[in-house]
Amino acid sequence: MRKNNRDQKPGMTRRDFIQKSLLTGAAAIGAGAVFSGGLPFMNTVRMAFGAEEFTFAWISDTHLYPRALNTRFIEKATRAAKDAMNAKPDFLIFGGDLAQLGRAEEFQVGEEILKEVTVKKYFIPGEHDWYYDMGEEWQKRFGKPNWTFDHKGVRFIGVDTISRGPDYWTAKKMTPEERMGHMATLDGSVAGPWAGVGKDQLQWLSKTLSDWPMDKPVIVFSHNPFYEYYPPWNFWTRDWREIQEVLAPYKNVTNIHGHTHQVLYNEVGPNNMRSIGMLATSWTWPYAPEGLPKLTVPMVRVDPGEQYDGVGWGKLTVTADNVSNEYMMWRKKADIFCGDSVSDCSPGHNPILSPRIADRP
Amino acid sequence: MKKNLFALAVLVAAGLFGLVMTGSQPALAHMEKHTPDQLQVFDQVFMEQVKIGDLLFHGDPETEKKMGTKLSTTGMACAMCHPFASDNHPHEFPKFQQQISKFATLRDMINWCIENPNEGEKLDADSPAMKALEAYIYWSNRGNVLSPGTH
Repeated sequence: MRKNNRDQKPGMTRRDFIQKSLLTGAAAIGAGAVFSGGLPFMNTVRMAFGAEEFTFAWISDTHLYPRALNTRFIEKATRAAKDAMNAKPDFLIFGGDLAQLGRAEEFQVGEEILKEVTVKKYFIPGEHDWYYDMGEEWQKRFGKPNWTFDHKGVRFIGVDTISRGPDYWTAKKMTPEERMGHMATLDGSVAGPWAGVGKDQLQWLSKTLSDWPMDKPVIVFSHNPFYEYYPPWNFWTRDWREIQEVLAPYKNVTNIHGHTHQVLYNEVGPNNMRSIGMLATSWTWPYAPEGLPKLTVPMVRVDPGEQYDGVGWGKLTVTADNVSNEYMMWRKKADIFCGDSVSDCSPGHNPILSPRIADRP
Repeated sequence: MKKNLFALAVLVAAGLFGLVMTGSQPALAHMEKHTPDQLQVFDQVFMEQVKIGDLLFHGDPETEKKMGTKLSTTGMACAMCHPFASDNHPHEFPKFQQQISKFATLRDMINWCIENPNEGEKLDADSPAMKALEAYIYWSNRGNVLSPGTH
């Protein structure tokens, strides 16, 4: 991994970087676990006592179309499933957006691919899974969108940030296809601030944690991040303040989320909850024009002509005192972070942008 | 005397040549001041193209049909990698473009994206669809500093 100038980023001194890199670090490369030199960095966060060492895998944002339309996304999801199984995880978390347009045929493709994964699988929904039939097909196949279980000293919780979007379709008499189409447009304005947890689920979350010691590790999975990164693309959960409040008494909380399709790290709330954004298998989103957390060491701009560049899955290892995330990014070159030139770095390329015009009333 | 006549002839000839080259009026950008109505029409024409470009950029099937284009065969649309037309940086073109290994315009790059990630059919460089896409990309990125040739 080549050295870069990330310690010279505005607002972060070299000393800050060294301190923070112990927590945030960078990421490991998944291309056959071949490193170009040096040590792999990881999102390593310290956890309290009590956890027994184990590995689990994360795959999300496969955005599958029917086989006849798009084979690229299928190939990448298949590769992720195989790679994840080779890591011998205790279980797999699927973090949402299995389908692109919420159709049964797309879920079917996803289920067939994920048959490769023979360990226990847990699913949370993404917006692409939900708004064609309001989650009917998804729930039929994968059950409840929120859940909890304990594993080797860690409490795991899956949270639904999807199903409580404001009704933008009834008054406009949209068809299911139209409703889904607006939801599937990341930079559209019609679906509005759909990402949210809701009061009922906040109560459920509070109750779910009430019997858990406050110094023991908690890992919460969600499709959207639990802080405000960039609301126009729903790179947030709109009731993030309430979520952070419910989680605040717990000293060792890590939130792992999808949706943003990019390397992302933050620490938020009074308990410095760690937030780790995971890669998609399908394609990368560029960094938003503003709001990128200062603790994130941004990933390099990917080559759109190379379908495996910038995408992949996540390998998470829990040890006695920490949890480490390795971005298993399929990239030919081992350096996945912004280099010395702004041309390597997506955030430097979005100085001024305007929201789209064609979907405004 | 002869010298002065010669100088006058040269001046007259130069003046005539200038008139021929620039027309009979002073070389202004337009004849008269634009009226508010005209400006409104110009804006309407521009924004209409921006909207068409926006719809094409987001893979709207009706607009594709109307414009006679096939910008993608994979379900990918331009906006899936470029929400708000980000990471297009039109203000940096023309420049050497690594993917195409040549000195390229924004239109060259649009066609590269159509043909490669999207596996669609490239557009004629001067086609209405290309102009509309270009209008949307420029409009979305307006306010950025013009910086051709940079990366």
